[in-house]
Formats: sequence, structure tokens, C-alpha cells
Amino acid sequence: MSEKKNSASISGSGTIAGGTYERVSISGSGKVTGEVTADEVRISGAGKIEGRTHANRITTSGSASFDADVVAEDEMKVSGSAKVTGDVKAKELKCSGAFRVDGSVSADYVKSSGSLRVGSDLEAEIFRATGGFRIGGLLSADHIEIRLAGHCEATEIGGERIEVHRGGWKERSLIMEGLIRVFSGGGAAELRAQQIEGDDIHLEGTTARVVRGKRISIGPDCDIERVEYTDTLEVHPDASVHEHTKR
Amino acid sequence: MSDEGLISKKDVLDAAGISYGQLYRWKRKGLIPESWFVRRSTFTGQETFFPRDKILERIRQIVDLKEEHALDDLAQVIRQRVDARLQVHLSRLADLGWVDAKLLDACGAKGGGDRPISLEQAMCLGVLGKLRGKARDEELDLVRATLAKTAGGELLERCKREALILHVARKRIEAAGIAAEISAVFVGPENIILDPELTVAATVDMKAVLEKIQLELV
Repeated sequence: MSEKKNSASISGSGTIAGGTYERVSISGSGKVTGEVTADEVRISGAGKIEGRTHANRITTSGSASFDADVVAEDEMKVSGSAKVTGDVKAKELKCSGAFRVDGSVSADYVKSSGSLRVGSDLEAEIFRATGGFRIGGLLSADHIEIRLAGHCEATEIGGERIEVHRGGWKERSLIMEGLIRVFSGGGAAELRAQQIEGDDIHLEGTTARVVRGKRISIGPDCDIERVEYTDTLEVHPDASVHEHTKR
Repeated sequence: MSDEGLISKKDVLDAAGISYGQLYRWKRKGLIPESWFVRRSTFTGQETFFPRDKILERIRQIVDLKEEHALDDLAQVIRQRVDARLQVHLSRLADLGWVDAKLLDACGAKGGGDRPISLEQAMCLGVLGKLRGKARDEELDLVRATLAKTAGGELLERCKREALILHVARKRIEAAGIAAEISAVFVGPENIILDPELTVAATVDMKAVLEKIQLELV
């Protein structure tokens, strides 16, 4: 995107055609009819892009909706509420609002502190979550770090290192707990998965059918039906593991 | 797929000496195709199995190649190797007279020769190849038309999931001293029930054909 291109900006209410732009910015209520290729896409009002979106940087802080696949070569930042009817591919995905993706998410780095919903798989090198999430398929990353605040759910989780900790604060008061509950949609701080597989796994507040790995530590408030491990297994007294086998 | 051809994920890790982290990473990089992840219900719930020979061979390739190539480039390298092999096999098949221009044309791979063809096209070729000598020419046309009707990946997806059998059946009708024979093609599960007047002239296990192609060509 080195040659000189036009920029398009909607700050009241308007519609622009799809195309190649330097910068697309929507700050009122706007719609792009068609595919967008741009260096930067910024939506701070109510924006809708009806075609595929391909940009280096995408920032949304209002209510954004993308009706097709989204590619962010560099970074995608969601801080309001955003919805993608398709797949998301990004180098970095930072989400602090409510982000819903109907398809899959593939990124190098995913950080979510809001509420994230993905219809199928989420694949990353590093996945960090401090909010709630729901992933319909497989959550897979080299490093998965989850600080439980709200309801977290994935059908399957797989990676090298998987760490799940209760709460982002060391000592959390009842008031704090209540506040978090209100802001995270009322769900209890927990993780639910059918299957969790990794080399190093530490879990807290997790309910799962099977956990498989090399070195596994099952912390407080876990309810695991079956653990299969090859090297070591530690189980906290406040955890329940119904069955475990060493291979 | 017969169960002795499958290997559980745990056994793959053991046999290949790799970690969960590596397996998931390679899956993310597209080095292990989604279709190789076969989910089966076991007493511990859903478990993942792989076609044994293919996964072990692929892991061996990845381990060999990852020294000299970046992980992100590996998928490309492996795909080129597979394509190259597919072409070799196709030209060999042509030498054996197993593939002719008419067949390739019917399966949507015009020209044929040394170009790679899609899995779906290869399956169509395999089914027709199996029927040769058993089914009449006009029946082969009927099979071609049947397979072409479901082109676009749908048949392929179904073949991966269920045991689909293709039957070529004939029925003789006699009335007032005039006899005629009609042919029909059915694609369905193994235990399909046909009326007693139908004679099955040939059957092809489509799932077996697909697996044979995947094992031998890919």
C-alpha cells in the first residue's frame, strides 16, 4: 500500500462504496457497500462493512459489524461491540469489548479482556484472556493463559502450556467478586471444556471430561472426570478428579 | 476405515516422540490436514485418531524438514512434494491404460496427463476404473452422470464420514413377448434394500476407493 490512495471518512451518516483506500473512518453511522482494502479502518460510531475487509490496522470502538471475512495484517483492536459474520485473521487481536465472530479466529497473539465469542476454532501462538469467552470448536495456542472472570468455555483446548487461574487479583473481596459477576454477565468465574490437552497444564476452577498431558496440576475448584498424564500429576485437596492414569 | 489403520493421538505422540504442543502447532500451520483428524467415541468420550501410516510419515517429513525450513514455509514444501507425487502416479495410471481422456473429461480434469487433479476427480476415476469390465458403457455413463451431479465436494465429505456404496443394478422387464433391460445407479449405505427383481451387476465401496487414493497418492 505504498502508492497514494484516497481516504474516506463518514462522520455524520452516510454510505461509501467498497474499494481501495488509504484510510476508512466511520465516526457517525456509516456503511461501506462492498469489499474494503485499506491501510487503516477505524470505526467509532455505528459502522457496517458489507464486504471482505483487508487492512493493516482495524480499530473499532463503537458498534461495528463486518458481514464477511476480516484480515488485519497488523492489528485488530475491538473495544466496543463488534460482530464478524465470517473468519478473522490478524497478527494481533486485542479485544476489550464484546466481540462475536461467527467463523474462526486465527492470529499470532490474542488478548481478550472483554467477552469473546467464536463460532468455530480459535488458533493463536499466544492466547491471553481475563474476561469471559465461548469458543465453539478448538482453542489452540502454544501458550494459553486464562485468568478466570466470568464464564469461559471451549469444546476442546490444546497447546503446549495451558494455565488457568482464578481471578486476576490475588486477594479479592466479596464486593469485588460481586462487581465482576455483574460486569461479566452474571456467569460464575469458571472454565468448562470437554477436553484439554497440553504438555504443561495448570487448572483452577475448571470442569472438564478429559485432561491429558505430561505435567499436570489440578488446582482448587476443579472437577475433572479423567486425567491421563505421562510425567507428573498434582491434585489440590479442593479439587475432584474421578479417575487418573499414568502412561 | 478399518480400525487397524487408525492410531490414537496418544499413540502418535509416543510412537513419534513428539509433544502435544508440537502436534497442535503443526495442525495450526496446516501441516496436518483437518481430514486426518478422525473423531471416534470411546469410553472416555470423543477421542481423536489418525490414519496411522499417513500421520507417522507426515511427522517424519516435518521433523526432517523443519531443520532446513521455517515452520511457516513447511506446508508449501510438503504440498509441492505431494503434488509432484500425485502427478507421477497419474502418468503411471495413464500408462497402464487405467485413465483415458474420456474418463478425465468426465471427472472434470480436462487434458489430464501430468497435471495434478483434485481428490474428488481422483475418486471419480477410481470408481469408474473399478467398474470397468463389469458395467456396460452406457452404465459407466450413468455412473459418471451420477457422480457429476454431486460434484463440488459434497460427495467427498460424505464419503469421509459414512460408508457409501455405489451399486449398478439391472432389471429385466418382459411383457407380451418383448423383453427389455434397464440399468440404474444407486449410491447409499452398505445395507441398502433393493427390490428382488433387481440384479446387482457391480458394486464399488466409495469410501474404500477414497481411502486407497488418499493412502497411495497423497
